[in-house]
Amino acid sequence: MNTSVKKLVAGIGASIALMGAGSAFAEIKIGIAGPMTGPVAQYGDMQFSGARMAIEQINSNGGVMGESLVAVELDDVCDPKQAVTVANRMVNDGVRFVIGHLCSSSTQPASDIYEDEGILMITPASTSPDITERGYELIFRTIGLDSMQGPVAGEYLASLNPERVAVIHDKQQYGEGIATAVRDTLLENDVEVPMFEGITAGSKDFSSLVTKLRDAGVDYVYYGGYHPELGLILRQARQANLDAVFMGPEGVGNKDINTIAGEAAEGLLVTLPPAFDEKAENQELVKAFEDKDEDPSGPFVLTSYTAVQLVAEGIEQAGSTDPFEVAEALRSNTYSTPIGTVEYDERGDMKSFEFVVYEWHSDGSKTPVN
Amino acid sequence: MATHNIKHALFSAIITLIISAPILGLDLESAGTELKLTGASTSTLVSIVLAAIVVFLFQTFRDSIMGALGQMPKLNRFADREPMPQEKRLKLENIFLIVLVAGALLWPFIASRGSVDLATLVLIYVMLALGLNVVVGLAGLLDLGYVAFYAVGAYTFALLSQYFGVSFWVALPTGALIAALFGFLLGFPVLRLRGDYLAIVTLGFGEIIRILLNNWTSLTGGPNGIGGIPDPTLFGMEFGRRVKEEGNISFHDFFGIAYDSTHKIIFLYLIALVLALVTFLIIRRLMKMPVGRSWEALREDEIAARSLGLSRTGVKLSAFTIGAFFAGFAGTVFASKQGFISPESFVFLESAIILAIVVLGGMGSQFGVILAAVAVTVLPELAREFSEYRMLIFGAAMVLMMVWRPQGLMPMRRIHIILKKQE
Amino acid sequence: MQDLLYFIQQLINGLTIGSAYALIAIGYTMVYGIIGMINFAHGEVYMIGAYTALITITGLATLGVAWLPLVLLIALICAVIVASSMGWAVERIAYRPVRGRHRLIPLISAIGMSIFLQNYVHLAQGSRNMGFPLLIEGGFRFGAEDSFQTSISYMQITIFITTLICMTALSLFIARSRTGRACRAVSQDLGMSNLLGIDTNKIIAATFVIGAALAAVAGLLLGMYYGSIDPLFGFIAGLKAFTAAVLGGIGSIPGAMLGGLILGVSESMTSGYLSGEYKDVVSFGLLILILLFKPTGLLGKPEVEKI
Repeated sequence: MNTSVKKLVAGIGASIALMGAGSAFAEIKIGIAGPMTGPVAQYGDMQFSGARMAIEQINSNGGVMGESLVAVELDDVCDPKQAVTVANRMVNDGVRFVIGHLCSSSTQPASDIYEDEGILMITPASTSPDITERGYELIFRTIGLDSMQGPVAGEYLASLNPERVAVIHDKQQYGEGIATAVRDTLLENDVEVPMFEGITAGSKDFSSLVTKLRDAGVDYVYYGGYHPELGLILRQARQANLDAVFMGPEGVGNKDINTIAGEAAEGLLVTLPPAFDEKAENQELVKAFEDKDEDPSGPFVLTSYTAVQLVAEGIEQAGSTDPFEVAEALRSNTYSTPIGTVEYDERGDMKSFEFVVYEWHSDGSKTPVN
Repeated sequence: MATHNIKHALFSAIITLIISAPILGLDLESAGTELKLTGASTSTLVSIVLAAIVVFLFQTFRDSIMGALGQMPKLNRFADREPMPQEKRLKLENIFLIVLVAGALLWPFIASRGSVDLATLVLIYVMLALGLNVVVGLAGLLDLGYVAFYAVGAYTFALLSQYFGVSFWVALPTGALIAALFGFLLGFPVLRLRGDYLAIVTLGFGEIIRILLNNWTSLTGGPNGIGGIPDPTLFGMEFGRRVKEEGNISFHDFFGIAYDSTHKIIFLYLIALVLALVTFLIIRRLMKMPVGRSWEALREDEIAARSLGLSRTGVKLSAFTIGAFFAGFAGTVFASKQGFISPESFVFLESAIILAIVVLGGMGSQFGVILAAVAVTVLPELAREFSEYRMLIFGAAMVLMMVWRPQGLMPMRRIHIILKKQE
Repeated sequence: MQDLLYFIQQLINGLTIGSAYALIAIGYTMVYGIIGMINFAHGEVYMIGAYTALITITGLATLGVAWLPLVLLIALICAVIVASSMGWAVERIAYRPVRGRHRLIPLISAIGMSIFLQNYVHLAQGSRNMGFPLLIEGGFRFGAEDSFQTSISYMQITIFITTLICMTALSLFIARSRTGRACRAVSQDLGMSNLLGIDTNKIIAATFVIGAALAAVAGLLLGMYYGSIDPLFGFIAGLKAFTAAVLGGIGSIPGAMLGGLILGVSESMTSGYLSGEYKDVVSFGLLILILLFKPTGLLGKPEVEKI
């Protein structure tokens, strides 16, 4: 046998040994699934930066049960089809805890797979009630529901004594869900809703829609969906002299709406989770983000941070990395986190979560109303 | 060296700079509420300049480079070989097929869960491509909306299971038949259109189906798709962790083994394998039957074929319907594999990929199409580290293949006789 | 009265979009008229034109150039230059080598090019929606103050006028100039023109360049009109423009204009009176119907079956 073959054999042997050694230091894989690309990648940035920060801090404090956390990051482009692919890939990669997904329409089909394959999932951003309504054991969230957010928006709009309110949505699970909740609240408060219409996400020309809105003589418009479409509607509405106040859910509260809508974004009403980054007890954490040159103010940064923290604490309490036992621990304990005290009900929803109405400004800042 | 070469080379280099410098060299970024322009990294700028220099050098020495390339030995030494006698070829093909199927049967027991999952997807594409091969490769009908029939098959299963609790085994033939019916109904009016017009109408039809699925929210769930599509059962045994339907028992309970999600993956793979094999054999049989011959006759010369008494509409319609049938087949398997479908799975790009598989494989050639389906599905997965560049490379590869090897990987061979040259 | 004003408003909306479609459709129709292939990458050239315009406008803002006509002119010139270079390169790389082969080959090559360009911009500029600064604001209004008013924005007027100028210039160019005459000759009979000493390669390249330049103009106009651009928006616009070209009779320049306007109006009427969700179904349905009953489009010449 010549030397080069010997070397080769030795090399292969060494690498097999190393692989064995690697698995001895068992790591805990934390999957993070959300949009890295695509129209709503801004929200994905928030999610990834929050989750990464939590993993980093937990690891530097000695990890979980002496083992370190490793992030497995996958891009679902906020598309249900890709979300299913990502979920399968998580299964194939041996991930047992997933932080994600972001858009409700992605979370819904992905959670079917996670539940079936015994993977614990915590979504930091999906607000659609359907996700936790199916009696799944392993599906949790660190954000409120549309059934909490919709009434907040609807009640606020009703309190402004509007003449007519149009409700528009992008037909996706999130947008349509919240728009329906808002419409129902408005109708309960005897507000006239002459228009309830869907648009196609990704389209650019809303001039006909704006004409319709003008024809309907509405003074308020509620839009359920994300900022790329609302930004265009705002801008085209202003161009065509539509004189109405717009309102949207947390999916539109993002500085990118200003680059699209410009001045037209002034006065937009948005329901958001409270600004966790302004709480006194979070200032140390906020500083950690700022030291890394990251922005902790987005609505999903700290919810993602919390999701990772919950997984870690759940594992510690269960004393095992079995997702079913961790889920049990999460359901039966109370946690104090950057987004406040977290307590879960049977379905995996937080027992209390608050939404606040903000007014958005054309410089990208926001002020709470009342 | 001719001056016009240098002039052309200079021109090409400048064009390279113009098309790459603004898009690659300058980055639009949103800074707060405004857009900001930043220069790209130095390495990007250097590579833009390098690209221009390479283009310049290549164009300057184009003649000598192309000449040198021309002298290289032929890549495919078998290209000019005489075709084998028919019997020997058939025998060889059969042996090859048996080896292929045997290998495919062993595959799930040696490969990882992920690769079995991927192999199922490959088989779905094999079915689709074999079906489209009938329409495009054999009958020569340019179909750019093939994905519509795939969608019809998938949605038939999804809707039937959602509203009527229909199982996979009932939905499989139903989905395929309904897709075939769609093919038949669409084919009736449009098949009198020729060539590109047919391509455009099928493209329009594919888009209409997708938009309807996307907007008919009350029935199809719109962009949110339909989830919870059941897995296939084996004689009433389910593969999930928990039994979903009353009266069924689960596979692992029946055999008293621990639950393992790979059972389901392997079972689905085997079903897809059997269905792909059935598709292959049926189409191979059809190709040798009169109807298959008439497809090719019509493709080669429509006027001559008609003058020999072939019914144009009948022949085209049969190809179209059969192609749609197998797309429906594939759609049902796809819906079951994913457990979830949405209109996003049935965009035009999907039609383009299936068509690219057919052309890449060598139009009309079944083995070539299978090879191409494997290549197009597996190669991007292997290059996962380059996942960002995946579609970029895919697009470039499509162009390069068409320029350099338009006849495909394994061109279809007709049995023919070569007449002896006259002395 | 209010109904009439509403109708006029939807008509104006439709004509605006329609004339932009027509600009893009020219590229499809000229290429098809001459070499009989569908240039699937044309929508991407339009998208690249829009990106170049946005990059230029942002760059000029950074440099402090604020005089609007100058900004628009420079953006237009840059967009046209980059897009036409792109058109030329695309023809050279992806279409010329496969010209004359089986008709599926150029089609696949074109689809490949379209995928390539989409991802090229996606990688270089990201996939997010980029907001286009609002440069032309304001407009006219008609009707009583307290009820529905028809409004025409200056942006819409800009789109009409620019389209009109481009179309007139193109018609004159095709009718009068030497290259234009050569274009017509090549589209009638490529082989014969070659024999008569026309450099057909140059003429074909010229068609691609002209089409790309007009698409770039449309990219700038529609980018400003809609308000945001992303790497995928060329594909949909391309599909629409292509539909317009076929509708009007592919190969015919007035046909492309007519097809674009019909398509734009039918879209805005569908969203205005039915629902915006189904406007694309109506456009494609219209396409299929026209092709079934008049396969050569509204203004196309009937194809003679050659034996």
